Amino acid sequence: MGDVILTMKGIDKSFPGVHALDHVDLEVRRGEVHALMGENGAGKSTLMKVLTGIYTKDSGTITFEGKEVEFHNTREAQDAGIVIVHQELNMLGHLTVAQNIFIGREFKKGIGIDDRKMNEEAAKLFKRLNIDIDPTETMSNLTVGKQQMCEIAKAISHEAKVIVFDEPSAALTESEIEELFKIIRDLREQQLGIIYISHRMDEIKVITDRVTVMRDGTYVGTLITKDCTKNDIINMMVGRVIYEDPKTHSMVPKGAPVVLKVEKLNAGKMVQNVSFELHKGEILGFSGLMGAGRTETARAIFGADPKESGKIYVNGKEVVINTPEDAVKNGIGYLSEDRKRYGIVVQKSVAENTTMATLAKFVKGIFIDKKKEEKVAQDYVDSLATKTPGVDQLVVNLSGGNQQKVVIAKWLTRDCDILIFDEPTRGIDVGAKNEIYKLMNKLASEGKAIIMISSEMTEILRMSDRIIIMCEGKITGEIDIAEATQENIMNLATREIG
Amino acid sequence: MTNQKTVTAAKKQSSLEKLGGQRFIVLLVIIGLAIFFSVMSPNFRKYTTLVSILDYSYYIVLMSIGVTFPLITGGVDLSIGTGLICYSLVGGYLITFHNFPVWGGMLVTVLFGIAIGILNGTLVAIMEIPPFLVTLCTCMITRGLGSIIVGGFGITWPTGTQPGAWFRNIFKITVAPRKMLPIGIVWVLILVLIMSYVLKHTKIGRYTIAIGSNKEAARLSGVNVKAYHVTAYAISGLFAGLAAIAYSAVFSTVQPGTGAGFELEAIGGAIIGGVSASGGQGTVTGSLLGVFVICLLKTGLPFIGLQANWQQIITGLVLIGAVLIDVIKKRRGIE
Amino acid sequence: MNKKLMAVLLGATVVASTMGSVAFAEEEVVANGEYTFEIIVKSYQSSYWQAAVKGIDSEKEKLGVTANSNGPNAESDIADQVQMLMDAINKKPDGIGLAACDQSAVLDALQAAKDAGIPVVLFDSGVPDAPEGSVYSTIATDNYGAGATAAENLYAALKDKIAAAEAPVRIGEVNQEATSESITSRGLGFIDKFTELAAADGHTVAVTGNDYYVNNCKDKGDEASANIIIEVAVPAQTTVELCATEASNILNKEDVIGIFGSNQVAAEGILTANGNLGVLGSDPEAYVLAAGFDAGSTIKAAVADGTMFGAVTQSPLAMGIKTVDVLTQIANGEEVTDLPTDGYWYNAENMESDEIAPNLYD
Repeated sequence: MGDVILTMKGIDKSFPGVHALDHVDLEVRRGEVHALMGENGAGKSTLMKVLTGIYTKDSGTITFEGKEVEFHNTREAQDAGIVIVHQELNMLGHLTVAQNIFIGREFKKGIGIDDRKMNEEAAKLFKRLNIDIDPTETMSNLTVGKQQMCEIAKAISHEAKVIVFDEPSAALTESEIEELFKIIRDLREQQLGIIYISHRMDEIKVITDRVTVMRDGTYVGTLITKDCTKNDIINMMVGRVIYEDPKTHSMVPKGAPVVLKVEKLNAGKMVQNVSFELHKGEILGFSGLMGAGRTETARAIFGADPKESGKIYVNGKEVVINTPEDAVKNGIGYLSEDRKRYGIVVQKSVAENTTMATLAKFVKGIFIDKKKEEKVAQDYVDSLATKTPGVDQLVVNLSGGNQQKVVIAKWLTRDCDILIFDEPTRGIDVGAKNEIYKLMNKLASEGKAIIMISSEMTEILRMSDRIIIMCEGKITGEIDIAEATQENIMNLATREIG
Repeated sequence: MTNQKTVTAAKKQSSLEKLGGQRFIVLLVIIGLAIFFSVMSPNFRKYTTLVSILDYSYYIVLMSIGVTFPLITGGVDLSIGTGLICYSLVGGYLITFHNFPVWGGMLVTVLFGIAIGILNGTLVAIMEIPPFLVTLCTCMITRGLGSIIVGGFGITWPTGTQPGAWFRNIFKITVAPRKMLPIGIVWVLILVLIMSYVLKHTKIGRYTIAIGSNKEAARLSGVNVKAYHVTAYAISGLFAGLAAIAYSAVFSTVQPGTGAGFELEAIGGAIIGGVSASGGQGTVTGSLLGVFVICLLKTGLPFIGLQANWQQIITGLVLIGAVLIDVIKKRRGIE
Repeated sequence: MNKKLMAVLLGATVVASTMGSVAFAEEEVVANGEYTFEIIVKSYQSSYWQAAVKGIDSEKEKLGVTANSNGPNAESDIADQVQMLMDAINKKPDGIGLAACDQSAVLDALQAAKDAGIPVVLFDSGVPDAPEGSVYSTIATDNYGAGATAAENLYAALKDKIAAAEAPVRIGEVNQEATSESITSRGLGFIDKFTELAAADGHTVAVTGNDYYVNNCKDKGDEASANIIIEVAVPAQTTVELCATEASNILNKEDVIGIFGSNQVAAEGILTANGNLGVLGSDPEAYVLAAGFDAGSTIKAAVADGTMFGAVTQSPLAMGIKTVDVLTQIANGEEVTDLPTDGYWYNAENMESDEIAPNLYD
């Protein structure tokens, strides 16, 4: 680690009704990867927005390379050398890689744009980063991982001195994360200051040098990563010790009946000959790399995508599921990985979201029985421990974890006994994650059968009673939790087929 | 492994793109339609019919070139049809009643178009009102405004032996009786090439696509999104102005209160030509080809003796077909 | 069948009442008070209606009455017009002049006018189902007769050529649409009159093309045996461009000798098509003869230089004048009756005459 390149001191920021940042400090050195941690809503994003000029601070100072600075927009921050790689990729899908990297500062040739030079410069950048991407490729044709590499290349092309990574690994596969870390280490070698925001504890241990923890808009403390344990960090984040231990053996009672049986399901390239059984009270983990076909399998079972062939049995009886409606009738619920797109209507209240799928139950005459609706919603808020000021609160104002609970409540109102959770804790902070885990365990113990698709190895190992591993559209293995290790799962997830 | 697959898939797609993708299909459709109508109707094969098709296509092609830009930003410009009539009325009025030279009237026509375009752009980009709403309102405004300015009368731009009738030669030169050269197509093609270059190789075009692709990302990259968003609408207005001149040159009387519906042919042509209805994608040459499909249908269907209602049904079906291609392409893209 | 019968009856009434209108025109109207009238035209945005407004304005000054004219943007803005009519009733004028865009949409408003005791004079188009006693007088062009006028003049010019022809000949007709009463009447008037005149000379006529006109003319004939074919075209939309395409399609045929466009847009469409084809002229031996309808500078110029053989004009100016006259008479307490107005044939020779020129708006 070199000398200090960036200091934020006593940063204070209020929005109407919310004290978002309360005298927060942050110090980043050259050649350092500095983790910024905290639960959702702790103020990490706000702090970074103040740094990059999207928000104006109320008080406090920012010192960059020895001088006090104040940026009024992202452009000024970029020009000074502070660049942010966003969590939600800011890609222009219809443009090429090179056009994306140089957007806003194209090389000119006469009145036109010098695309050739842009391609050459982009190629140089990729060479420097040791990435294999064709600069003339259209962005939307790249995988999420490659797109992220382009974002990084774009950041570096700004002659960045400080790069902020906002949850860079959220959408990456394990191998892509490895590649990302390699690049980050290279950048560290080159004496850049790196701020790394992530919820994944394992990554923090692997890649960062120091950790600054925030809680509820305040600065909690800064630790040297190698001198602390995961639990130290978590305790600072949540202010209490939590964490359920990984399962060591299946919790499913012997002889539990099969509630769902899938036989030789085919649906395009991503779902080939998939067969498995799911028992009452079981949490069946689906593991695999991105693009292994897990979500596609779930969607095919749920009737969201067309099936080519295959049979589905619910409680021993063969059923025909062509639409999600059919699935729900048979007691199958699906919680999408993309809550905002498929799961909830953020501009509606908790109560409205809860009853949305079962509105018919809450109709009295031609009117909706508001009282009944609110009562049922309140029951679920209580039983799921959803943190909300009230059932009339708009969902958009809840944190990710609590939004997920609303989605779960929505499916529970439909009396679904088979629940498919697709990436149930994506983008949810540690404390809330744990509550979702507890809830899933509770549901399983009450006899619900759960399929849990997850890309997080720790989540798979912590939650599953049994694990099915997929690769390239096929099931490559099935492991009981008692025998499962990271290694044997990864092995199956990356196995060559045919 | 997965990565390799994506790369090869992408390569395949780009080789089809090199053929021109949808444009190639549309070109085949044009050739097919031309052959079909020629076989079915001997009169369709005549040179004069070709000249007529071109004559009646100029104003739609010009509108279509312009409206391609707002469409690519993910918006739309519904004001170009009634706008065209309004600009033409005002230009013609100044020439006929206020002794403006023809070039002066043409200049006013184009400037008026740009002004309405900038108004549209400002309301969309800076006031952040949905484009559909904004341009629907300016569509109504221009429809009324043109009539008020000229006092409700139809306007005829200089014609025959009147001074200033030379401007009609911009689009068609009569070399001998019944022998016309439709040179308008040359200017139209030059404009297509220029705007193709603008769309592909200048900042204006690049940022137009960027706005349609991911406006927020473009803004965070330091692009002056608002200015370029306004520019896209100004281009649409400019070309509606040019279309007004083409319309005035080809047709005799410009009637106030007309023009509604022209924009649908221009927008329909652009979509047939591969402009994505959700923005981000499209080419000027594609829009040109798309408009020719519509123009061929409009001329060819009467020539093979189809009655009015059938003409509308078939044109509607072709449009649905084009939008379906767009939708199917998107689905494939997602898979 | 009913339509045909109606058309015949209409034609008959027109002949009878033409004489009446001549007599009427000679009466001198004097206003016996400071009357206020509200007059609503079909569209404030066309040359035709502006000519009518001109007539209204000149007559109100002459008589010293107040007449406020208004109208929607386009003839299709039916709801706007009804609203204007209701507003006019609320102003409680001494009388209302109305050119109704839609025959049925104005019925309630007419009842309201009757209830309010405001007399209504319809002009340009009648309202057949108007509540009893609401409409005091209808002043309208006899469109069927006007179409027949075009047929008479065109047939007279082509008579010799048809008689001399060895193969069947073709007459084209371009109608902007097949729905509005005025346009269909003109189109059918032309077809029926042309058929009648040709049959009198021993020719056989067949009508082809648009279904509405083929099925509603008096005698559609048989295409295989006829020696005169009347081909009726209706474009998919009411634009000049599509009228021009339909006209080109007909003008391209070798056997075509005459063509009729039944309103300004259709007639201009024929002229636009001719811009590329160059087949129109006033000599029947060398050219195709075209008959138009209405005026406007393009048609006037084409008639003047002989490209268009001639055209029928209505008299919007006269209609405007008569509307104010009749409203004034009603206010005076005089008895009034319905008043059909004529279509006049004009060509290069008579278009400058005092009788015709005032009705030829630009």
